Amino acid sequence: MRQRKGLFCIFLAAIVVCGLSFSSPVFAESVLKIGTLSNDANQLDPHISTKSQDKILFPWIFNGLVRFKPGTADLKQIEGDLAKSWESSKDGLTWTFKLRKGVQFHGGYGECTAEDVIFSLNRASNKETSTAYKGYGDFASVTAPDKYTVKIVLAKPIPSLLGMVTNYHGGYIVSKKAVEKLGDNFKTNPIGTGPFAFSEYQSKRQVTLVANKDYFRGAPKIDKIIYRYLPDEASRELAFKNGELDLIYGTREQRWVERMRKDKGTKVDIIGLGELRTLHMNASRGPLKDIRVRRAIAYAVNRDEMVAFVGQDVAQRSVSVVPRGYLGYSSDVPLYKHDVAKAKALLKEAGYPKGITLKVIITKVASLRVPMEVLQAQLRKAGINLDLEVVEHSAFHKLIRQDASDLVLYGAARFPVADSYLTQFYLSDSIVGTPTAITNFSHCDVADNEINTARSEADPAKQLALWKIAQQKILKQSCTVPIFEQLIVWARKANLDYGFKMENSLSNGPIINEMTSFK
Amino acid sequence: MLKYVLKRLGMAIPILIAVLTLVFIIIRIVPGDPAMVVLGDQASAEALAALRTKMGLDVSMLEQYFTFLFGTFRGDLGTSLLSGRPVLGEVMTVLPYTIDLTIAGVVIGIVFGVPLGVLTAVYRNSVTDYIIRVFSLFGLSFPAFYSAILLILIFSIQFSWFPVISDPDLSNYGQRLRHLVLPAVNLGLIMVAYITRSTRSSMLEVLREDYVRTAKAKGVPRLVVITRHALKNALIPIVTVIGLYLGVLIGNSVLTEIVFNRPGLGKLILDALSERDYPLLQGVMVIYAFIIVVVNLITDLTYGFVDPRVKNQ
Repeated sequence: MRQRKGLFCIFLAAIVVCGLSFSSPVFAESVLKIGTLSNDANQLDPHISTKSQDKILFPWIFNGLVRFKPGTADLKQIEGDLAKSWESSKDGLTWTFKLRKGVQFHGGYGECTAEDVIFSLNRASNKETSTAYKGYGDFASVTAPDKYTVKIVLAKPIPSLLGMVTNYHGGYIVSKKAVEKLGDNFKTNPIGTGPFAFSEYQSKRQVTLVANKDYFRGAPKIDKIIYRYLPDEASRELAFKNGELDLIYGTREQRWVERMRKDKGTKVDIIGLGELRTLHMNASRGPLKDIRVRRAIAYAVNRDEMVAFVGQDVAQRSVSVVPRGYLGYSSDVPLYKHDVAKAKALLKEAGYPKGITLKVIITKVASLRVPMEVLQAQLRKAGINLDLEVVEHSAFHKLIRQDASDLVLYGAARFPVADSYLTQFYLSDSIVGTPTAITNFSHCDVADNEINTARSEADPAKQLALWKIAQQKILKQSCTVPIFEQLIVWARKANLDYGFKMENSLSNGPIINEMTSFK
Repeated sequence: MLKYVLKRLGMAIPILIAVLTLVFIIIRIVPGDPAMVVLGDQASAEALAALRTKMGLDVSMLEQYFTFLFGTFRGDLGTSLLSGRPVLGEVMTVLPYTIDLTIAGVVIGIVFGVPLGVLTAVYRNSVTDYIIRVFSLFGLSFPAFYSAILLILIFSIQFSWFPVISDPDLSNYGQRLRHLVLPAVNLGLIMVAYITRSTRSSMLEVLREDYVRTAKAKGVPRLVVITRHALKNALIPIVTVIGLYLGVLIGNSVLTEIVFNRPGLGKLILDALSERDYPLLQGVMVIYAFIIVVVNLITDLTYGFVDPRVKNQ
C-alpha cells in the first residue's frame, strides 16, 4: 500500500512538472520559426548544394556582388549588393565592380574585400569545390586592381555575366578566411555577409540563424530564425496551426491552398519561378526512335486537363521547353495541341495500329507520381499504355540516368536564362550515360549549334533569336513535351510581413531580410 | 551468472555479423546514389564520379565490406556520408530520445496492459471482457501514424496541452516530459494492446490450475488469489512478450517519431535509407541489433527474478 502511495506521488509530481512547463517564458526577442521540407540539411555550402532545403537559406546568409530585387527573379531588375556600382567594356568582356566598404563577415571573419570576391569566384569555377563550375568556364581572370575593386575578364561573351555574380549558387561571396580555417566544416558552418548569421546546426533537426546587427543595409527586425526540418507535410501544417511555426513550406495542391486561405490568421504565398514539368521521350529506345511515335505522345497529352487537375493557382500551362520568365524563353514555338485522333493516326502510320506499351520509371514522390498517373490515363486514350514502375526517389534519380525509362517526367527550375535549361536538358554533351551527362534524358541533339553559339553571342538580339530557334527545333523534333509549371507554395502567419512583395524567388523559398518583421 | 551473460553476448557476434552482412548487401542492391543526394540533380556525371571516389564508393564491394566489418569490430562505425560526423556521434545524439520513448511506451503498456489483462481474465466472457478485448484489437490494428495525428488534433490543436513538434531540450526535464507524453501514449497504445491480450491468455491458463482452486477453497481473499497466486505465475509469458515486443516497439517508433518530428533511432534509420547514407544506416543497424540482443538477454535474466526455478537452473 505504501508503495502504491509512493507511485501515486511520483505520478502527481510528474504532472506538476508537466504543468509548470506549460507556461512558456515570455521572450522579448523576435523569433521566426520556419518549418521546411526534407529531413535534414544537405550541405550549407552555397557553391555546392543545389537542394531546395539548403537553397532557401543561402540568400539569408550570403550576398552576391549584385542581387535580384527582393521578391523578384528578373534579370532586368538586378541591383547592387556587395558591389555598389559596376561597368563593362563595350565588347562585354571586361567587367569592373566597385565594392562597398566596411561590409563585415559574420563571426568576426573581418571585412569583405576584393580578395574574398576573387576567392569566391575562383572557388565557384573549380569543379572540386563547386557544382556551378560549368557556368564559370569562360572566366579568363578575376583580379583586384585595389582592395575594393574587382575586375572580371571573360574569354568570350556569356549569356549574363551579372547573372553569374548575383545572389545565387556560384555567385555567393564566401569568406576566404573562414573557408580556409574551417575546411570541410564550412559546409555545416557557413560564413557570409547577409542579414542573418549562422549560429547552430543540429543534425536532422534545425538550423539556427541570428540577426547580423552589423548588416550593411541595417540590422534585421527579426532577431533569430529557427529553421526546422519537418519532412511530414501533415505535422508541418499541424504545428503551424498550433502556433509552433510562423512560416511553412506548403503543399502544392489547390485544395490545400484553398483550405489554408480560409483561415484568417494565415496568408498563402504562391511563388514563382515555376518548376517546369516536362515529359522527356528517350529517342534511343524502342518505338520512341520513330519521331511519329514521339509526336503521337505530344498530341495525346492534354495540358489544360492537367492544369485543371493540379490546380489553377499552383500550376500554369507550359509555353515552351524553357519556363516562362527566363531570359530567352519563347512562346513562338510549335506546341502540339491535344488531338487524340491525330495521335492514333500517327501511331498507325508508324506501324503500331494496336498501340504501344512503354516502360516508365517514376518516383513515389507525389508531385511527380500523380501527374504521371494523369498522363498515363491521357495517353491510354490514344492507345499508348504506360507500364509504370514506382520506385523510391533516390532510386528514380539513379535509374533515369541509366537510360532505364522510356519516358521521364522531370520537374526543374534553373537559373532564369534559357541557356541553363537548354544546356542541361537538350545539349548532346548532357545526354545521360555519357561522362559529361547532366539531365538530357531524351538524347536530343538537334539544337547543339544554336545553344553553343547563343552562349557566346555578344549581340543580345541575335542571342534571343538563336535561343528561339533552339526551342523550335527541340519541339519540332519532339524530344520532349513541356506540360505545366508547378509553383511553390508557402504559408505564413498573417502578422509576418516580408517587407516587400514576394512574387518570385530563385531559392525555392521566400526572401527573409532586414525588412522582414512581425506586425 | 557472469559466465552466462558473457556466453550470451558471445552468441551475439554471429548474429551481428549476419545482420551487418544483410544490411550491407540489401542497401547496395536498392538503386540510389549518395553522391547525387549530396550534389543534387544538376551535378554532372564527372562531379558525381569525383565525389564517389572521395566517399570511398569507387572501390570494390568486397573491399568496402571488409573495411566496414573490421571497422565495426574495432568500434569505428565510420562517418556519415552526408553530415560528415562520426556515426556513433549521430546515434548517441538521438539515443536518449529513443530510450525515453521506448521506456515510456513499455511503462504505459505494463501499467495499463497488465491490470486490463487480469480484469478480462477474471471477468471472462463478461461485458467488461468484450469491451476491453475489442479495444485491444483496435489498438493492435490501428495504424500508429493515424493515432498519432488523432492525438495531435485532440490534445495539441484542440486543447493546446502538448506541442505538435516533440523535440525537447534534454536538459530541461519538464519540457522533456511534456514532449514525451503524446508520442509515448501513441506508442504505449500498441503495447497496452499486446500486453492485455497476452496477460489475459496467460492468466486464463493459470486460473484453471488446481492450486488456484485450492486457494479459493481455503478461503484466501480473491484479490490475493489473483495477484499473489495467479498473476505471479502468469508473469513469465508476459515478460517474454514484453521482451519480444520491446524490439518491435523500437521499430514501431519510426512512424511515431516521424509524425511527432521527434529525433530517434527509427527516424535516423529512415533518413539514412532515403539518403543512401550507407555508413550511417549500417552503424544504426549495428546499434539496433545490439540493443535487441541486450534486451533479449535482460528478458532472460528477468525470468530468474520472476520465477526462482529458472534462477536455480
